[in-house]
Amino acid sequence: MTRRFHLGVACAAATALVSIQYASPQAQGARYSITVMPPGGPAPRLPDGHIDLSGHWLPNSAGQGVSGRDGVDPAARRQFDPKVTPEAEPSFQPWAAEKIKNMTPVELELAKSSVNCMPRGLPAIWLQNPYSTVIVHTPVMMAQLYEVLNNWRLVYTDGRPAPKDPEPWVHGTSTTHWEGDTLVVNSFGFDERTYVMPTGWFHSDVMKVTERYTRPSKNYLIVQITVDDPKVLTRPWTSAPRRWTLGNGEVYEFYCTNNKELDELGKLKEQESYGK
Amino acid sequence: MKIVWTFTLGIAAAAVVLTAAPSFAHHSFAAEFDASKCRDFSGTLTKVEWTNPHGFFFVDVKDTNGTVNNWSFQTYALITLRRAGTSLQLFKDNIGKEVWVRGCEAKNGRPHYAAAGSLKFASDGVLRQMGQLQD
Repeated sequence: MTRRFHLGVACAAATALVSIQYASPQAQGARYSITVMPPGGPAPRLPDGHIDLSGHWLPNSAGQGVSGRDGVDPAARRQFDPKVTPEAEPSFQPWAAEKIKNMTPVELELAKSSVNCMPRGLPAIWLQNPYSTVIVHTPVMMAQLYEVLNNWRLVYTDGRPAPKDPEPWVHGTSTTHWEGDTLVVNSFGFDERTYVMPTGWFHSDVMKVTERYTRPSKNYLIVQITVDDPKVLTRPWTSAPRRWTLGNGEVYEFYCTNNKELDELGKLKEQESYGK
Repeated sequence: MKIVWTFTLGIAAAAVVLTAAPSFAHHSFAAEFDASKCRDFSGTLTKVEWTNPHGFFFVDVKDTNGTVNNWSFQTYALITLRRAGTSLQLFKDNIGKEVWVRGCEAKNGRPHYAAAGSLKFASDGVLRQMGQLQD
């Protein structure tokens, strides 16, 4: 009874999260040509009755590209409204805070996957990815196809146990379970070379990541991330519930084949060194 | 009256900040390019590199001495350009034609290398966003 009540509250909250943000195109006014996407009706379900997370998901509230475009409602650009669902700053261990503080602007830049063309990895793929993600969801597996760097990840939902000694992977090793209509993915065993955020927030070998996936309506995917990394953080950090909206446009190729930034920033780094 | 103006300007400034705030600060403009060296460029489009993580287009620009230099301009990733309606064909159709660019020079002093903020082909006069000239 209690569990059912909690699930009901969670579903209502997720629905409210979407409906609070959405206003009809008339209400949003004629000054924007790209507006917040409507909820779109109930979420589809898999043959086993669970919510189907499949779709072409864009990291905004518009259901289409918003970067580099005019006439976009600011609410449609966002994945969450910090006034409604504020996101706390991570609380770093003193040594970790010092390490990040000592990074120069060029070092910070070179550490970003958007600059060095390393895979984002988990959880960054859900926290610092401006491009789309296609999810193909079946009762036994969720395939995540990331547009950025033509990268992909398979998450098994058939209840298989995690291996005892997983190799360090950028997306870690995952187990899953359902809590009502929320798919919970617990992951561990990460390659230490990826960053959580493009702020210099690095992680350790003991990082554990929890992803919580809900689809309160057809057009909205909500992903909430918790990072538990006691070597680097003094306490676990949880993201705001971030909205991804259903698109129907093309998925583009993105191989990183002409990266001039490493050379350009490398020259700047040399100039920084001479200045010291 | 002054209070009303101040209030209005404050709201307008907040609106600009909110509108301009990028969804992701995944890339720092300021780390690589110099915001104090931004200017308008006019010249002839000579080439395009339709590549990731950034596209590049090249423009012959005549300096004040009459010397022509071939400038390269970095753009958004191609996905962003495509979703905003800018295609490779558009660039190809404008090779050898006049363009206008707003861009900022590289911080490391590399000559004739800049980030593009916006671009206008003389052929259609439409202002297209090519990148962000701020963080």
